[in-house]
Amino acid sequence: MKSKKNPFLELIQNNSVPIMFIIICAVCIPISGFSPGYLLNEIITRMGRNTFLILSLLIPIMAGMGLNFGMTLGAMAGQIALILVADWQIWGIPGIILAMIISIPISLLLGLFCGKMLNMAKGREMITSYIISYFINGLYQLVVLYMMGPIIPIIHTSIKLPRGYGIRNTVSLLNMRQHLDNLLAIRIGGAKIPVLTFLVIAMLCLFIILFRKTKLGQDMRAVGQDMDVARNAGIKVERTRIVSIIMSTVFAGLGMIIYLQNMGNIATYSSHSQIGMFCIAALLVGGASVERASIGNVFLGVTLFHLMFIVAPSTGAKITGDSMIGEYFRVFVSYGIITVALVMYEAKKRMAKSKAGKMLEDAQGKGEGN
Amino acid sequence: MKSKRVALFRAASILSLLVIAGVMMVIGRGHTVYLDNKSMDYNGQTYAALYKIVAFVDGEQVASLSGRERGMATCIGQGLGVALEVTREKDGEEQSFTVTLPLPYSMDGIIINLPAYLAGLPAEAYLSEFIPAPEPSEDEDSETDVLPGDEILPDEELLGDI
Repeated sequence: MKSKKNPFLELIQNNSVPIMFIIICAVCIPISGFSPGYLLNEIITRMGRNTFLILSLLIPIMAGMGLNFGMTLGAMAGQIALILVADWQIWGIPGIILAMIISIPISLLLGLFCGKMLNMAKGREMITSYIISYFINGLYQLVVLYMMGPIIPIIHTSIKLPRGYGIRNTVSLLNMRQHLDNLLAIRIGGAKIPVLTFLVIAMLCLFIILFRKTKLGQDMRAVGQDMDVARNAGIKVERTRIVSIIMSTVFAGLGMIIYLQNMGNIATYSSHSQIGMFCIAALLVGGASVERASIGNVFLGVTLFHLMFIVAPSTGAKITGDSMIGEYFRVFVSYGIITVALVMYEAKKRMAKSKAGKMLEDAQGKGEGN
Repeated sequence: MKSKRVALFRAASILSLLVIAGVMMVIGRGHTVYLDNKSMDYNGQTYAALYKIVAFVDGEQVASLSGRERGMATCIGQGLGVALEVTREKDGEEQSFTVTLPLPYSMDGIIINLPAYLAGLPAEAYLSEFIPAPEPSEDEDSETDVLPGDEILPDEELLGDI
């Protein structure tokens, strides 16, 4: 006999993370003392800055490869491209476009490598991609710290370390800062809306929607649901998985360039390592899971996660007198939310497995009874 | 047949990306232009600084230069369109010029001597490269002190703005 579930309870259960964040934000906003106009402006800015990066996570989830911690590879490609463009003194929108073009082949190679590695570690994609990101980070540092200067020509002393090779901790992007955001920007009630950035994001959303309907998109969904069934149906499973990771890495590279042009500088050795974690946390806050994520989750996640990021330090300062409490709280929440999502994913998987086993046992029992 | 078409499509995509990249490199080259109102000697003749020069770029005033003064403007591309309001001597009549100064691709910082330019001298006379003064020598390790691997506690970089 089937037990009837309360639909309201089911809704709360399925959206527990976003609901929790809505409650946190609802409590923190009045305490923080920020005006609605300020919050709206900040949210719009951060949405333009981060959404493209978070959208890059959707395709591997569709292909059943979970949360792509390897998106930092794309971020590294984006950073290398921006360092080169900054040294060549290509400014403004042309600089952003050139950096995007340069990042594509680097992202392609890194994505291909990551995809091949993940095919060797089926079922453990997330931890593998996480460790690959550390491995490639080592290579990135080798390139940026030792090869840029003697092997890869870097001319400007404002970019190079005083010792003559390697890149400084911070590279200024002042000459392309917010050029994408300011072009076609409009102001509504004091809030700046970066129309062009939102158009670029909308194009990626449209691409993802249309891509799902293509043969490759359908293949990815089939692979995501069951690799063996997909293989039996004639789908090249390994190739499809590699393509999904390559696409994610390339989009992450482009997203990182959009992100950094908004910030106006590159933290050469740390920008990329933070970004993967925060993007994944934002996606999960939006109600996505390891096996299911939508564009709606991305937008809800960016809004809630960054709303918390804006109000937490001020709330912490008001409650405890120390703004660092709020800072620590937001970092704690980002890592915590990823941990909870991973635990829930494993728990669900085990529950589904035991349920299937029980059903099989029941069916066998009935068969023997007859 | 299909594989040929795919290869052709890929080659065309790569080619178009390369073309776009090339165009971006040309139209996006940034320069810092220093506008000088200083006396200069050329071929044994002295070209004196003018009483006052006001320079506008894109309708915005970038410099108001008396004698022996320098102004600065940034520009993207291979030419700087500048509107000049020139007063040659005290109580003299103000003249207006709109000129496009061609900028060499290879130079980051470019010094334009306006009296020489307005006197109609060739580019070799009025244009020179700005070479920044060498940085004061820093302790070599100062930058590497905080390079990766040295972080122990979460710091501003970890908790930074996202």
